Parts: sequence; structure tokens; C-alpha cells
Amino acid sequence: MHMNYIKTAVIAVLLLVLFLIPQIATTYTTSVALNILMWIGMATSWLILAGFTGYISLGHGAFLGIGAYFVASYWQILPLPILILLSGIVCVFVAAIVGYPVLRVKGPYFVILTLGLSEFVKYSLIYYEVNIRGTVGRILLKTPSIEDLYYWILVICLLSIATAYLIKRSRFGLALMSVKDDEEVAEALGVNAALVKWKAFAISAFFPGMIGAVMAMRWTYIDPYTVFNPMMSFQVTIMAFLGGIAYLHGPIIGATMLTLLSQYLWARYPNFYMFALGVILIFVVMFLPQGLAGLISNMKLPVLLNKYKVENKSLTKEK
Amino acid sequence: MSKKNLICWLLIFISFMLFSAAGCGGKETTAPGAKENIKVGFSISLTGIYAPAAESQMRAYDLWLEQVNERGGIYLEEYGKKLPVKFVYYDDQSSTDMATRIYEKLVTEDKVDMLLPPWGTTLHFAIAPLTEKFQMPVVGNTACSIKIRELDAKYFWFITSCIPDRQTEALVDLMKEHKNQLKTVAITYVQDLFPRENLEFLEPYLKAAGFEVVLVKDYPIGVSDLSSLMAEIKRLNPDAYLALSYPEDSFLITNQAIEAGLNPKLFLLLVGPSIAAYDAGYGAATEGILTQGHWSPKRGWAGAQEFYDGFVKKYGERPDYLDSVLAYVSCEILEQSLTMAGSLDKEAVRDVIATSVFETINGPIEFTGVENMRMPAMWLQWQQGELEIVWPAETATAKLLIPKPKW
Repeated sequence: MHMNYIKTAVIAVLLLVLFLIPQIATTYTTSVALNILMWIGMATSWLILAGFTGYISLGHGAFLGIGAYFVASYWQILPLPILILLSGIVCVFVAAIVGYPVLRVKGPYFVILTLGLSEFVKYSLIYYEVNIRGTVGRILLKTPSIEDLYYWILVICLLSIATAYLIKRSRFGLALMSVKDDEEVAEALGVNAALVKWKAFAISAFFPGMIGAVMAMRWTYIDPYTVFNPMMSFQVTIMAFLGGIAYLHGPIIGATMLTLLSQYLWARYPNFYMFALGVILIFVVMFLPQGLAGLISNMKLPVLLNKYKVENKSLTKEK
Repeated sequence: MSKKNLICWLLIFISFMLFSAAGCGGKETTAPGAKENIKVGFSISLTGIYAPAAESQMRAYDLWLEQVNERGGIYLEEYGKKLPVKFVYYDDQSSTDMATRIYEKLVTEDKVDMLLPPWGTTLHFAIAPLTEKFQMPVVGNTACSIKIRELDAKYFWFITSCIPDRQTEALVDLMKEHKNQLKTVAITYVQDLFPRENLEFLEPYLKAAGFEVVLVKDYPIGVSDLSSLMAEIKRLNPDAYLALSYPEDSFLITNQAIEAGLNPKLFLLLVGPSIAAYDAGYGAATEGILTQGHWSPKRGWAGAQEFYDGFVKKYGERPDYLDSVLAYVSCEILEQSLTMAGSLDKEAVRDVIATSVFETINGPIEFTGVENMRMPAMWLQWQQGELEIVWPAETATAKLLIPKPKW
């Protein structure tokens, strides 16, 4: 009971700070915070499919690109909230269509297929732009201020965390995790594996679509090569692993740490930071297979997180 | 497990201490009020897809920095003395996201006095709304698109005259002069903004001038084989082959056109032949290749030959006639506008840039809106190991060599 109070208080303070950042901080701090929230949203939504079912997707960034392009296409035609929401919904449909055949493929083949799929989307778009529209890239004029965009990203980010949390606690979440542990056994026990994976894939696409919509307004100029950059997808995956994909707070920690760290490094060592990041990632993979969240969880000190540990251990230990 | 954990935490702690120690050392210790230097900020693509191309820009920036500080800096009436220039720059990883964050940092955290642009059209477009918001004047260099007019910017300008509508019109004018030799034209282009925009204007201009376009074909960025396309063009045997290409595929097309024995009377490669690696790689085979650009040290613009020599001396190879020159011109305009304004006041500098004529290594430059309308669109051709301006007549350093000699 006492622990729950502390936890609630910590979360409340954190939320208050997040809410106040654009009011009290400088533009630059707001932009850094916006960036962190964007990656948290990306990594948490990625977790809904990859973390729960074990189907590692390297195509998550493609939905961000689709969302960005959707906004650019209907910019100043539709009102902003509808535009953002529709960007997410479009991605859900795209995911539902491509997910149906793709999710039948397993293991490393699935990973490669998702990578190929995002490249396919990129080149289809380039073909469309070049041959049908006769140009590549779009400029968005009169975009909202960074403070407005920050609140949009904050809402989307919190929604993605809440969704992941609710799914994890639901029957649906249990079904997903049973797929991760052993798909055949899960099927035998009556879980419709194909259906639950399909649903998870569609839900996880909703958030990057909306994030892409907001980020397009921030970047103000988009072209297929930048919004469908495969590095986006890799970075999401790296962040989730850094934080630990067995934990809900893993991607949050991973995204925050990696964004802050790279921020810190590029600002001070412009010629050196890629090297440093590489070393850190090797270190994490070698010594922290459970990620930073696993490291925190394994410590006896923070009583706060003990409850999580018990929950997670019981789910992941018997692999 | 606990021992391993302890090691992990220890390592994290140590690295954190190291980083923060290094961070403290890097901080500036300038007394408030006493202005010691002019801080010029920019982002540059040290890594990522633009990194190979951005080098020619960075080298020009560095050359200018060295030269301006040898002169003692930039004279500002406001301070009654010359102030040396200091660069503050970060790697943008060729990403729009990083570039926007870096320019926010440069303006709000590092409090730089002036800005220089990053590399490429995409990143110019990405930062233009920001510099507009911060009211920081920026003279863009390595960017080119008809979309610059959409920006409606008050604090951003573009130097180049390689704007697709203007330069394709000039190209067709050039071709019309040799219409007795040129009847049929084949065009290929790489799927990106700038080549596609060029096609948009080139094709109708050619048709209006009575040329027969026998082929228009596109291919993606990063293509690794175009031999079948070269064979097809050879079969069609056009009088002119206009390749709206980027450096990477300019090299590929040169290789495979030589292999295929493709010898049109006019051979154009849009972007690429102006960089040093091109003639270093092909030597005498460059003879007669036409390419975009608007500079030559032989034209006699003040400081052009000195720039060329200084660049060769510092880096051991010649500058890129496009990007290095444009980047250097940006710096020249920055320097001149500060001296003319006599202060670091952004509005004063903006007004000076918007209304003045600048004498640069690329001739006089004057902005109308965001565009430099003083400079006509030009075309360059390789002739006996040198790039010559062959169009228009008033700035030409040589006559067009036609037909292009066989490989």
C-alpha cells in the first residue's frame, strides 16, 4: 500500500514536469524533451508487437513515414486533430493489410521481411511522386509552434504507454505472451495466434502513424529518403533492447537514455560520438542482456520496482 | 549476478564522471560584455548519406575561416576593431531531425552571432522555417530547387543560378545554336527532387524548340547497373544524351557509356563532373562532357584564382566548381554583410543582404526575393583538362565543343 503511494506520487510529479516543460524551459530543452517523447512513443508501440510476441519488426519506421506523408498530402485541407488521428488510422489499415500475409512468416524471415517491406513502401512512394506527381518532397508551411507539437507528442506518447500497459494486463496480452513463449503450444491451448498477432501489429502501427504526422510538422520539409530512413527502425529496436524488452518501462528507459546520451555526446564530441555510442551498445549487449530495466530490477535497493520484478520474472523466467 | 551488476554500475558511474569532467573543460570563459570573437554556427553531415558530398562544403568553410582569421577577422564598426571568427558546428548525421535540433541549439543555447547553412536542399528546407522564426539571416549555398520560391522567406537566400527552370531554358538556348547538328534527344534522370524538376521544364522546352525527344527514362538513387539503359540509348542513337544525374550515377554512366561505345554529339551529366574525383578518374576521357555550374577561375572574377590556388594548396586537390564555390561565396557574403552593417545586429545584417550587391569569387551577387537574379544560368564543358563556361556568351570562357570527340 505504502509503495503504491510512492509510485503514484512519482508518476504524478513526472507527469506534472512533462506538462510544464514548454512553459518553463527554453526552446531547446523543449525540443530535446519532444525528441525523447517521440522515441518513447515509437519504442513503446514497437513493444506491443515485438516485445509481447517476440516478432521483432525492423519496419516500424515505415509507419512514421506513412503518417508524415499523409499529413503532407492533406496539409491545410483538414483540421489538425483530425489529420493526426487519421494518420494513425491509415497506418492501422496499412498494417492490417500487409500484416495478414507477413505475420505468417516466422523468426529471422519475419525480421528480414519487415525490413524489405518498409523499403518497398519507400520505393513505391518514390515511384508515385516521380511519375505521377512529378516532384519529390513536400514543404509544409505555417506549421504549429514547437510548444503545440510537444503537447501532441506528449499525448500520443502517454496513450501508447497506457495502451501497452492495458494490453499487458489483459487476456489479449496473455495470449500475445503465450505466442512469444511457444506459438504451437499456445495454438494447441486455443489461442488464435494468427489473429492476436495481426491485432497487435495493427495496434502498434497506430502510434508511429500519429507520431509521424506530428514530426512532419516539426521537420517542415519531408522527402521519402529522410522519412523512410531505415535507421529510424533500427534506432527504435536498439532503444528497446537497451532498456530491456521484457519490461514495460524498458523502452521508456532505453529511449530516454539513448537520446540523452547521444545528445550529450554529439554536442561535445562531434567527431567521436558515433564511436562512443557503438562501444556502449556492444557493452549493453554483452553485459546487460535484459537491458537497463533488467539491471535496475535486479538490484535489491529500489523497493519501488520490486513489484514489477516479481510480475516480470513470473512471466519470462520459464522460457 | 550481483558482482556483474556492481561492475556495470561502476562502469556507468565512471563514464558519467568522465563525460561531465570533459564537459566542464569545454565551457567558455568569456567575460560578459567583452566581445572577443564572432561565433558562426552550422551543422554539417559528417556521417550519413550526405557525408561524402558535404566534404567539399566543409573544406570551403574551413578555408575561409583560416583566411579571414589571417586577415585578423571581420571589421565591425560597432566595436571599432576586427573580431576573429570562431566556428561552432555539430554533425547532423544527414538527418532533418538532427539538423533542426542543432540549429535550435546554436541559436538558443550556444547563442551564435551568425549562421551558415548545412549541406543539401533537404536540410536547407528543414532549417529555413527555424531561421525565419529566430530571425537569423542565412545565405544558403548547396541547395537548389524551384520550391525555394514557395518558402516565402525573409531571412534566407539562395546563391546558385542552377534553378531548374532557368538553367534548362539556357540549355535549350545553347542547343538551338547548334540545331543543324542536334535533332534527336534522349533523357534519363535519377528519382530525386532536383533531377525531376529539371525534367519538368527541360522536356517541354525541347519540344517547343523543335527537338525530338526519343527517350525519357528514370532510375532510383543508388542504382548499380545501367548497362542495358546505355545499350538502349546506343540503339536509338540520339544526337544529344542528357543525363539528369547525381555524382554517384554520373560515374556509373560514364563507365558504362564508355563500355557501350555510346558517342552522342552532345553528352550532358547534370551533377558530378565538376567534382575533383571526376577528372582524377577519367583524365582525357572527360573531353566534351557538359555539366551544370556557373564558375571558372578563368573568368576573372576578383579572388577566384586565389581561392582556387588556396584550396589546392590546403587540400592537395582542386575545389568542386559547384559546392565548394557556393559554400565559399556564402562565407564571403557573410563577411561583407557584417562589415557593411558594421554590427552583429540581425535586422541590420538582414537588410544589408537583401538590398546590397556583393562582389564575390563568383562575380557580383544581388538578391531578388530569395533568388540571386544577378547571375545568369550557365553551363560548363570539359575542354583539354579544364572546365570552361560555354554558355551564355557574356560570361563564356570558351566556345562549345561539338560534336563531342569519341571516347
